[in-house]
Amino acid sequence: MSELRPAQPVPRAPFWQRLQAVDRRILYSLIFASVIIPVVWPLHLPTPVTPESRAFFNAVDSLPSGSVVLFPFDFWPSTLPETEPMAVAGLRHCFRKNLRVVGLSNVGMGGPSIADRLLDSIGAEFHKSYGVDYVNLGYKANYSAVLLGMGSKIADIFPADHRGTRLEDIPLMRQVPNYDSVKFVLIISDNAMTDYWVALVNARFGLPMVAGVTAIMAPKMLSYIHSHQLIGLLGGMKGAAEYEQLIGHADKASLGMDAQSLIHFLIISFIILGNAGHFMMRRQQARAGQV
Amino acid sequence: MKTRLPVLVAFISGALMIIAFFGRGSMVDAASETALTWQSIVGGFALLLGAVSIVRVHWQKISTRHEDRFYSACLLVCFVVMGGSGVVFGIGGGTLFDGLFQRIQAPMMSTMFSVLAFFIASAAYRAFRARSVSSAILLVAAMVVMLGRIPMGQYIYHGLPAWADWIMTVPSMAVQRGILIGAALGAASMSLRIILGVERTYLGRG
Repeated sequence: MSELRPAQPVPRAPFWQRLQAVDRRILYSLIFASVIIPVVWPLHLPTPVTPESRAFFNAVDSLPSGSVVLFPFDFWPSTLPETEPMAVAGLRHCFRKNLRVVGLSNVGMGGPSIADRLLDSIGAEFHKSYGVDYVNLGYKANYSAVLLGMGSKIADIFPADHRGTRLEDIPLMRQVPNYDSVKFVLIISDNAMTDYWVALVNARFGLPMVAGVTAIMAPKMLSYIHSHQLIGLLGGMKGAAEYEQLIGHADKASLGMDAQSLIHFLIISFIILGNAGHFMMRRQQARAGQV
Repeated sequence: MKTRLPVLVAFISGALMIIAFFGRGSMVDAASETALTWQSIVGGFALLLGAVSIVRVHWQKISTRHEDRFYSACLLVCFVVMGGSGVVFGIGGGTLFDGLFQRIQAPMMSTMFSVLAFFIASAAYRAFRARSVSSAILLVAAMVVMLGRIPMGQYIYHGLPAWADWIMTVPSMAVQRGILIGAALGAASMSLRIILGVERTYLGRG
């Protein structure tokens, strides 16, 4: 029978070492709190407007009443928190200016349903009628054929709208046979479709366009702004919040910016703390002759 | 003939679209319009081919009692329910398909994407280390852009938004343009190779 000895106290790991191994549940809890707190108690931080967002607003605002705007809903449901506020603000701006909106989607999974929901709900806010003030063409496979084909005859690509009504039976679409009747394109996208709109429609047909894209895509899209292929750009939730501010209707993006502010701040704190721990550990190891 | 015919079709289609892009004329327009309508129809069939392929792959997993057969079964059930509801009741607003999409699929996809925030935070804490000069530059640039892009940034230092804009519009854009030009040149040369019949891997042989 072995002799029972009192347990030796285990030496505690140095502070910096413990900092390196923080339980990820603590990190997740902090992130969760940073999202929830500003939603419950909004901070109402003002969002400075970038020149690209202002150019986006000015381009839509300067369109004459009754102009036809092509409105591609080229985004997946996964990016709705970023893209939906842009689409909502864009539709509000268009309907307030009495612009006529032709919606479509090059994203098969969900795009047309999202377009339907947003067009109907924002259309109802401004007492707009389907088929007269706006229409949803839906989705057709093969984006290049769709984008180029609509330049010749929209009805060849979309014989019927998303609801199955023949285009010739829709009053708005009787006046819009092809791009010649379209004044402007307002793209909301979370994928490479913006590149194709620029390369295939702006380059060939000369249609002026603006784009609202996810934050991760914005740096690439800035090059189209500088080459004047895009007139304006909304980048991520910040761009959407700026646009909401410009149209004077604060909504989900403005609310989300508080949460985004805290999250960015928290992630930067994590990076600084993680690096501080890493350097202090290396320093201690160097002193101990382990490195 | 099995090789020549597809190469000829590729040549005529490609050349036609190039001519239609740069010049306009009634004959060219009519021909390119027809080609685009055909392309749209072929695209529809490609989707059908994809659907058939996905059913075959997952049905095979179920029939061979593969360890992932339950996921495959789940996929097929969802495929049949979504596809069937769309075909039988339509896909417009207020239909069963629309309800399934708006209430199940869209929230699930948004949730999956939102979970990324937690992983990014954890990864930022554990993996984003200034181990070298270049990674330190990247780290500082990322921090400036992240702070400069949020309203809180200007309260920390009023010049941060301008710094963030400079990083986005000068060094970042220079790289983006380089990538864009490189990709465009690559796409143009590959397209030319296909149109001229030099590149034939799409036929299933080198």
